[in-house]
This record gives sequence, C-alpha cells and structure tokens, in this order.
Amino acid sequence: MNEIPTMSAEQLGMSKYTRRQFLKFSGAATAATAASVLSINDVAEAAITRPLPMGTPILVVVTLYGGNDGLNTVIPYKDPAYYAARPDLTYKEETLLPLTDGLALNPAMTGIKSLWDEKKVAIVRGVGYPEPDRSHFSSMAIWQTGSPKTHLSTGWLGRWLDTQKIDPMTSISLGSVLPPLLVGAKNSGSALPLGGLVIPSGVFAKACDQLSQPSRADNKLMAAAALSMRNLFSISGNITPVLSQAAPMSDDLPTVGGGNAGGDSNLSQQLNVVGKLIAAGAPTKVWSVSLGGFDTHANEANAQAALLGTVSTSITKFLSQMKASGRSKDITVLVYSEFGRRVKGNGSEGTDHGTAGPVFLIGDRVNGGFFGDQPSLTKLIDGDLPVTTDFRDIYSTVLEDVLLTPAEKVLGKWSGRVKAIKKV
Amino acid sequence: MDAKRLEISRLFNRFAFGPRPGEFAEALKIGPADFKKSILNPPAIDIGAPKEPVFADLGPRPAPKSADSAQFSQDLRAQSKELTLWWLDQMVLTQKPLQERMVWFWHGHWATSIGKVNYPLPMLKQNQTFRKFALGNFNDFSKAMLLDGALQVWLDGNENTLKAPNENLAREIMELFVLGVNRYTEKDVKELARALTGYQVPRSTGVVILNPKRRDTGAVTILGKTAVMSGPEAINHLVNQADCPRFLAERIWYRFISSTESLPKDHPMINALAGRDIQQGLTVLLNANDLTNSNYSIVKSPVEWFVAVSKALELTPSKLSSFAKLYGYFDKLAQIPFSPPNVGGWPTDEAWLSSASAQFRIVFADWLVKQADLSALEAIAPDKRVAYLADLLAVPEWTPRTTVALSALQKIPARLLSLAICSPEYVVSQ
Repeated sequence: MNEIPTMSAEQLGMSKYTRRQFLKFSGAATAATAASVLSINDVAEAAITRPLPMGTPILVVVTLYGGNDGLNTVIPYKDPAYYAARPDLTYKEETLLPLTDGLALNPAMTGIKSLWDEKKVAIVRGVGYPEPDRSHFSSMAIWQTGSPKTHLSTGWLGRWLDTQKIDPMTSISLGSVLPPLLVGAKNSGSALPLGGLVIPSGVFAKACDQLSQPSRADNKLMAAAALSMRNLFSISGNITPVLSQAAPMSDDLPTVGGGNAGGDSNLSQQLNVVGKLIAAGAPTKVWSVSLGGFDTHANEANAQAALLGTVSTSITKFLSQMKASGRSKDITVLVYSEFGRRVKGNGSEGTDHGTAGPVFLIGDRVNGGFFGDQPSLTKLIDGDLPVTTDFRDIYSTVLEDVLLTPAEKVLGKWSGRVKAIKKV
Repeated sequence: MDAKRLEISRLFNRFAFGPRPGEFAEALKIGPADFKKSILNPPAIDIGAPKEPVFADLGPRPAPKSADSAQFSQDLRAQSKELTLWWLDQMVLTQKPLQERMVWFWHGHWATSIGKVNYPLPMLKQNQTFRKFALGNFNDFSKAMLLDGALQVWLDGNENTLKAPNENLAREIMELFVLGVNRYTEKDVKELARALTGYQVPRSTGVVILNPKRRDTGAVTILGKTAVMSGPEAINHLVNQADCPRFLAERIWYRFISSTESLPKDHPMINALAGRDIQQGLTVLLNANDLTNSNYSIVKSPVEWFVAVSKALELTPSKLSSFAKLYGYFDKLAQIPFSPPNVGGWPTDEAWLSSASAQFRIVFADWLVKQADLSALEAIAPDKRVAYLADLLAVPEWTPRTTVALSALQKIPARLLSLAICSPEYVVSQ
C-alpha cells in the first residue's frame, strides 16, 4: 500500500487535523450552503435548457453515516471464527444470500443480490486507510476529504469540482446541509433540500411572497431568513411535470439507535428525486445522498438489516427506474461508510467502532465480482480487521474511469487502483 | 430602532424563551434594569412547573423477537414521549425561564443523545442535573456530570478501563465541556482518561458505580500536575484552570450573544465567572452593554422558536393534538430535544435558515395557530393588530417590508399570526 500523496503540505493547505476542526469545517460547509441552495425547479429548468449530453458518466455517492458493520453486510459465513466472535449477532445460514468465496450478503439485501447475479456489483473488501481513527467525526472527515494523514479543508469530490468549470449544477447533494465531501477550494456542490412540498397558496402565498422580499432594514441573518423563504416560493405552483409524481414524504425507517453521526433517513425519497432529475436530463455529474443510523452499538441485527434493506431496495429501484431513461449505462453508484465495526460483539448485541469495511460499486459500467482481499478474522490488529485496500485506490479508479479526470489532480500521486470499472 | 425595545426583546427571546401575552408591555413599563432583576431573581417555588415524570427501570433489553420484546419497545417509546412532552411543557410553563433556558443551554453543552443512550430514565436524570446546576457552581456541576449515567454511556465510559483506556470521555471533557480546544495536549487527554477509568453504568438505570478492579490507580500528569487523582479530583483540577472561566464565557457568548463575533478578550463575564458561579456570569452579561449592540443578532433554533410561539399563544405542548406530528416537525427542522446531532451540540444561525426549514416552519406555524385561542387578537381592531403582534411576540420593530405583508392579512387573524411567527423579525432575534 502506498503512503501519503507527494504533494507538499503547503500545496494542499494542510495542517494537523483535529476533531474540532472537523466540527468547524462542517459548520463552514453549512454556511457555504446558504449561498448555493438550489430548488428542484432550478435543476429542472437546467435539465430542460442545457441537458447533460447522453453518454456522460454520472456518479451517485451513497454515504452511510454511523459506521456500517461490514462483517454483517458481506458475511464470511463459512468462517467459524465469525460465529465465535459474535454469537449474538450472526444470521442463520439459510437466510443468507450466498455470493462466492465463502461470503454472503445480509438477508435484507435481496435487490443487490439480483444485481450481483447480473454482474453489476463490485464489492471491494477490507477498505480503509492507515492508522484507522475510530471517531465518527475524524474518520468521516478522512473519508470525505480523502486525506488520512493531514487535515484538508476540501473534500475529494470538491477538489474534482475544482477541475470543472464553475456551475452549481455539476454536483448536487440531497438534503439541506452540504457534506464536506463536495466542498472545493473555488467550486462547491449545491444542496437540494427535500420534503413534502406544502406550498401555501392564494392570499397567504401573496403575503408570504411579500414577506420574503429583501428589506434595507434587515440585518444579515434576517436577510438570510427572507432569502430562504423566497427560494421556497420560487418553486410555488409550477413544479415541473417531471416531478409531478415526487415521492411522498417517506419514513423509511423505524427510529433506531443510530447514534450521533448525521445522515438522512429518507434514502429512497432522495434517490427517487435524483432518478427523476437524471431522467429529465439534469446537467449534474455527481450526486450525493445519505442514510444515517449505522452506529449500531446495541441490538444490531434488526436495526442494521432494516437499514441495509433500505439501501438495497432504494438503489435497486433507482437503477431500474433509470433503465427507461436511457441513462442507466452511464450511472455508477458508490456506497461507503466511515468505518466498519469491531469483530467481536459487545455486551449489548451490538458492535463498537472498528476499521475496515466493504465498499460497493454498482451499475452497468462495473466489473462485477470481488476486489481486494477479505481481511482475516484471526489476524486482527487490536481486535480490529486489518485494512487490505486503501480507499484512495477506489477514489483514483472512480476519478479516472468514471469521472474521466486524472486522479493526481485530486489525490496527488497515488498508484493503487481497483479494476472494478470497465474502461470507456 | 428603539434601544429599550431591542434590549427587552433580546432579554425575552434569548434568556427567557419569549414572553407570555402582556409580559412584554409590562417589562417595557418597568424598564430593562428592573426586568433584568426579575429574570435573575425568579420566585423560589416554580408554581408553573409540570409534575416531573417518574420512570420505572425497564431493565436490560429482552432478546429480539422474544416474548417481552414488544412490550419493552412499547414501554421505551411511552417513556420517551412522556420525557419529551414533560420537558417541552416545563420550558413553556415554568416561572423560572432563565433557569430553564440554561437547562436548554447545558443540554447543548454536555450534548448527549438518547439515540445512543436508548433509555429515557438516565436522560431524565441528566436533565434534572442540568436544572439543579443550571445557574449554580460549575465545579460541583462538572463533578456531578462525571457521575452522570447518560454521559458515561454516550462517551463510552464503560469501556474506559485500566487494561484498555478509552479516551472518548476524557477528550470531550477537555475539548468541549471544561477547557476548550488546544488548551491541553494529547498527552493530557491520555492521562485524564487513565484518571477516569473504572466507572461502570448499567444503561437502564444510569447509576454510575466505581469498579476498583477496572481502575488505574497509578499517578497521572495532567496539565503539569503529577499525582494519584480520583475522577472527581481530576475534574476539580481541570475546572480550577484559568482557561475554564474563559471557555465558559465563550460558550455562553456563542449561544446567547453571537456565534459569528468572538467574545471580546477582556469581557467582564470572564472575571465574573472566576468563582465558577454561573449566576454571577449571567448577571454580568445581562448588565454589560452587549444587549443594546445591534451587531449581535442570532437565529432562534427550532425548539426555541416553538417554545416562544407556545408561550405567546398559550399552548401547552402535551395538549397539542398529536405528539407524532409535533415530533415530525422537530425531525424535519432537525432539532429533536434529547437528540443532538453530535457531541458538539446544535448548529447555529444560518444552519436553521434553509428553504427546506422555511417550508416546514410555515406548515408547523399553521398547525400551531389552528390550535390556539385567537379571541384576544380578534378583539383588537384590524388596523391595530400588526402593532399588537410586535408586543405579543417581543419583536422590537417590524421592517416596512413586513408591515406591508402583515397589513394585507390584518383581517384574517389566523393567517396574520402564522405569517408573523414566520417573519425574519421573529425567526431572528435582532
């Protein structure tokens, strides 16, 4: 495995990373969002006036917040050490969805299993980075910035955005807060808030419109409050026909002990809207969606199965929805989480923060199958899985083979690759 | 802008969860100085307070799909609902609004989420500790928090042992609770973690015990002092650092005055906190001139907005038509009491001002107004209603823009009220 990129610290604006910086950093991303919140109408209009050329590759990044337990996602069910380490947490063998190599998918992931059978799923095993950090904040910052050793104030896809011409439509995150992932030095992604749109009408709407106008008497925050309402009303009444069947506000999930690391709960709704906007021709190359709740310290089996079922069903539905649009061959979905979990179960039928986990790449352009070595369950490091694949191998591959951009511009010199994407 | 109206508006909106009908006019009449005294010296007995819940210990979680599992989940949900509604009622009904506002502040300071703690009982106990020390001595408070079951569970105190020290709690105590970032070294964190080893807490009760077998009894070196320290002794040592009152002043400033402008280096609140007496610090802050400085505006967070609306409309949260709906609005606005997003607490200002939240606020406002008794507003002549609402809601002044918008609805009281509570002047404490 390679070590750190060879760009100098000055070049990358680095300083030693602390958790506080990430908290502040997230705050900064939020503030930046205020300037780049899009309405669905903005995107729909851009889709009509300047659609993405057919054949342009599209990346959809799915972030699982909280630390998804990789060992109960891609399950080494033939390994006695697996059952020995976590007797409270294992699934019955007959419920598992067997792949190859003694591995099986979580019983809830039937949709992804079908895609696997169609050779559309690449599973990269044992993914992580050197000296794993077990803090949600630190580890998510490391994955999103793509920089394990030093703190960067930009996300890896934000730096990719910096290589593109400035356009708020190039990259869009669903939800009201922009993740650090899409923050670049000069160009950032946009946030597209979702929700059941209940827009007032009639005389009240007119008064709201009046209320949202700028006033010279506004201070900065009052002006921001007025602007947020104005943006809302710009979509009033005429949401474009492509979106007329927007999904209802969905409560995908029971409230589970998801812990403290962010992420949204309505993945299927997010992907539904992404699908409709892609089908409409939105000029967007990178989409970011998320699901929270993976911090399963307790009663993991049911909670995680519910979450993985949502991931599997939402992605499968999304890709099948894309078939009719003629764009399904352009789409690659990347699924990752900030860390895997401890091999040994804890006392409360859950697991604590761990290290390596699987990363999924899904789509027509993917070479289906396993990549990277399955981490050994018997050669643990401090009770945790050894990392066998650096996430920068995957990022480099995605940058080059999906986004058609030299990886060095984003990650510095990095030689590892996974051959999981068909060359165009 | 009228300086007196601005100051009293800020006192209500930032330190007292907003006024009840009539209170703003009353405060204007007695003036800011006397009003501050009344905020700082509330009645000794809180006659408005709702009865505190009493929760049974639900015990360990039964095996999934076992016979007891469904009942257990139901009990957990019922307690959780009761806990949330009780606290919201307390915020709205209390006669000690500054104390309750500080409970809300401490909830964001020692930010602990029921999402990980799971059980409402330890969250209730933590909330009671916040109230006991809301305006008390920060040294005693911090020692009580060390033995707080919810906090110990939240930050993995159970896993911090002689054999395998876990730094989670120690780090946050230094970084987020007592001193502030960069006021200690990584070595200090490790050493503090050792001093805090050995605590164990059954999740369901939140009663912390000390297990001597798990405890590291060796000498530790923390911020230059080497000694064998018990947990409380280590906390005492941290709270006694000169950085502690500065840090507290910074945090209070950030949440009550401005999240964008820094605390002035020589602000008198820092000295006022020298005895670690929180009431002293707030007394000085209220009497400093920051509350008339027009630079320092701040956005009401969704819960602050909801409580202020409830007080103005005389609504009791537990009597609203649907808890599920209420919870849903908090969820959509991204602020559910007892569920802060992370140990750093709630976000501030612009984070609450996306178009998504504007939309949910309008629907939420409508839902609340529909449940309110509007007869007082209806009894006022239509052309006086806009001015009346400025006092009802403790808005120092409507902008001309908003005056025009509100005046257009002055004959439709419900609509008028909904619009007023969604206005920039109300969402932001100017």
